[in-house]
Amino acid sequence: MKKIIALLLALIMLVALGATAYADNDVSELPREETLYFAGQQWGTVLSWNIMGTNQNNSMAIAGGPSGYRTLMFETLFMYNFMNGDIIGLLGDSYEWNDDLTEVSVVLKDAAKWCDGTPVTAEDVVKTWDVSVEIGNTAGTTYGAYIDSIEATGEKTFIIHSKLDAEGRPVNPLKVTDFLTGSPIAQAAWIDKLVERNGGDAVSILNDPGEDVVWSGPYTKYYSDDQKVVLIRDDNYWGQDASMWGKLPVPKYIAHTIYADNPAGELALKAGEVDVCQQFIGNVQDLWLKDGLPISTYYEEAPYGVCLTMPTAWYNMNLPVLAENAALRKAIAIAVDYDTIIANAMTNQSPSFADVPRSLMNPTDGEQALYNHDAVADLQWAGNDIEGAIAMLDEAGLVDTDGDGWREYNGEKISLNAVCPNGWTDWQASMEVVAAAGDKIGVEITTLYPEWDIYQTVFTNPNQTEYAIFMWSPEAASPSNPWTRVNQFLGKDYVGVENNWSGNWGQYVNEEADALIKQIPLTTDEEALKDLYTQLTEIYLTEVPSFSLMYRPSLFHAVNESVWTNFPAGDDGREIPPADCTDGYGIAALYELELVG
Amino acid sequence: MKGYRKYFGKKILWFLITLVAAVILNFILPRLMPADPVSAITGKMASGMTDASAVQEIYKRYEAEFGTNKPLIQQFFIFVKNLFHGNLGTSFSQYPRKVSNIISSAIGWTICLQLPAILVGWLLGNVLGALAAYIRKGFDKVLLPVALFMSNVPAFGMAVTLLVLFAVKWKIAPIAGGYAFDMIPNMSWRFLKSVISHYQLPFWSIVLVSIGGQAIGMRSMSIYELNADYVKYARFLGIKDRKIVGYVFRNAMLPQVTGLALSIGTMIGGALVAEIIFSYPGLGSTMYSAVTAADYPLISATTLIITIMVLVVTFLLDIIYGFIDPRVKAAQFDA
Repeated sequence: MKKIIALLLALIMLVALGATAYADNDVSELPREETLYFAGQQWGTVLSWNIMGTNQNNSMAIAGGPSGYRTLMFETLFMYNFMNGDIIGLLGDSYEWNDDLTEVSVVLKDAAKWCDGTPVTAEDVVKTWDVSVEIGNTAGTTYGAYIDSIEATGEKTFIIHSKLDAEGRPVNPLKVTDFLTGSPIAQAAWIDKLVERNGGDAVSILNDPGEDVVWSGPYTKYYSDDQKVVLIRDDNYWGQDASMWGKLPVPKYIAHTIYADNPAGELALKAGEVDVCQQFIGNVQDLWLKDGLPISTYYEEAPYGVCLTMPTAWYNMNLPVLAENAALRKAIAIAVDYDTIIANAMTNQSPSFADVPRSLMNPTDGEQALYNHDAVADLQWAGNDIEGAIAMLDEAGLVDTDGDGWREYNGEKISLNAVCPNGWTDWQASMEVVAAAGDKIGVEITTLYPEWDIYQTVFTNPNQTEYAIFMWSPEAASPSNPWTRVNQFLGKDYVGVENNWSGNWGQYVNEEADALIKQIPLTTDEEALKDLYTQLTEIYLTEVPSFSLMYRPSLFHAVNESVWTNFPAGDDGREIPPADCTDGYGIAALYELELVG
Repeated sequence: MKGYRKYFGKKILWFLITLVAAVILNFILPRLMPADPVSAITGKMASGMTDASAVQEIYKRYEAEFGTNKPLIQQFFIFVKNLFHGNLGTSFSQYPRKVSNIISSAIGWTICLQLPAILVGWLLGNVLGALAAYIRKGFDKVLLPVALFMSNVPAFGMAVTLLVLFAVKWKIAPIAGGYAFDMIPNMSWRFLKSVISHYQLPFWSIVLVSIGGQAIGMRSMSIYELNADYVKYARFLGIKDRKIVGYVFRNAMLPQVTGLALSIGTMIGGALVAEIIFSYPGLGSTMYSAVTAADYPLISATTLIITIMVLVVTFLLDIIYGFIDPRVKAAQFDA
């Protein structure tokens, strides 16, 4: 019997070993002092390294983050810094718009090279663009409506031609600038190979795993399985040229363990198995104040990070009671206790609406300066104004006529639901606060938490009447913001669009606002721009087609400094954004890390 | 011999009928969810896209690629046709990965975690239960409440308790994963040691919960058997206690064998909690993420595996029963 058990155990161990993929790499253990560990980015097995492909889940190598493209392996022309709005050269050296914003000329860096030593040329950019449009990958579909063509004018120079509308004006120069910082460039020679081996078939090209891909960035793939993905530094990286970084990034390996959920990643951060954690951690300050761990965030004090977006409750305008009663929309919004939401749901990782009054802007200084605060001061509300809300409803004639404690509209009880996906705990806590506000002002609001797959099907349906008040976040930061976000809040383009992932989920139509939004991309005069944004904020605060519940970072940035230190911090004067040391100009952090020892 | 053939013929027929019904349900049930997985894929791709018509194009392309724009009946026949070719389809949530690829990379971990855990839990539980029945006195007084308590601890409660105590508080076990966070799989003792140490917590979280239930079942069966006439008669005859315990164990074990077979059949579902809490790779967590993403092909494939495993195990059980319990064989052939 003993022998059988022993044999069985041995067999199990062998199978267990067989279940893991084997690496033909030179190291079996990643030296801790050469490896930077991440959590909160990669949630599944890496499927593809094909930079021309689509539906990528390769979060460490191929990811257009909400605050800049991730340039560890593939590089964009420029990097965006959301701290100050700067656009910094990467593969590109400089760019210049012509006067009527119909074309932008770009010069590539002389030193920029692919991993095989060949130079990055204008031909690479042109090929990347042409094939992207042909096969309809992310770049092609994202920018196809705004870029007409890219034309090489020399080995290192090219011109991007904007798409023009019927009057010969560029459709949207802001989105073309987004392309400069948001779209990675692939090597023309490799693209030719990719197209050829897939017989030119778009779907096959998009699904090609791209194992042989050529990269230009400082890291490349080293190992990946169901449990982790590891990138290794390319010591021949062109960026060590003085015209770029002048050195190599410090960590030799970038590793990301694939955790099952947030709590697992948080545990690993506490245990020092993760250095950079992109996850929401409730009461993050407890990690250093109470637990005494060497963990820190971008700012030492609340809100601890840089908030770039604002999770928002959208009113469903398909429901007549909401569409026809701006007073009801505003009354609910001013009755909600935002301080409770920010203290409980966000554990104070958001500035309050008293600190940063609500508008269409995120709380960064750059965006806040884009509208006239005084002009809309009278329209503001900080929340928890029950009396004001009650007066507003009474005045609008939305009163309780049958004495059941609930107000009626057209003889029917006003009964709404407040919806967000199940398990999104901070959002669920917010929806509870919204429902409680309804209670206090005589408007019945019940919470509903469907599973995510159902939620996303319903809220992207332009004709849905199931959800009355539901949550979603607008865009965070990019060169085209706040225009993109304003368009999401008030723009007419997305009304009635099936599978609407783009914006205006409440289906709110306002012709005046739409006309103002359309002027913004072509307005370069700062005062005129400020005036447009102020008018739009005024409309937004008067009409209240939606209301933001809190501000929120688009990337969380908690770092454990037991092995690595000198991470970017708000007060260090370097202006490196807290973008997890990977996104946009945030990658600059990798070049300045130091070992604690 | 004729009895055998008739009996097995009948069994196989029922087996096939159940299989067909199961395949139909496996196909239909996930698709009845009011969720649109193609919309989710589109959403992943469309983030940052401001051009609404471009998003539409993407949606249409995926709809055509996955065939979700075809009538359900047509989709079903494609599904069945592909099944015959051993093609389980392409995953929605891990597109463009093949379902068979996802399953083959996960199933090894699940079997290695679950099979030994189920067997060890079963063996320990039965031995303890039999001992409790036989020794009684103090042993039984302690074992019964402890076993009752353990069998009622929910699997996730046990897993979280073990995780907090051994990994977080005392730091003597790793937190997550199938091997150390700083290792790359290779053929070395260090790696093997790492696999074994990561195996401990998920393994014991399953074993500890299953011991209780098995022990309680075995204890009451054994007490019943110990009072049976044949035991008393054997004692009168002066047969040694050891020998008698052997008889008792064999008889009391019969229902327990059914339990064992069923837990082996359903082990993929059983692995879910341990795999999620310990971020352990395997089919349980694969199935969970498939369900939350409305990934029809992956849900259908994992539930199909469970169905087939349960069917095969119960089929084998019917046959084995005949051998281990002659009473059952007699009853089967009479029928």
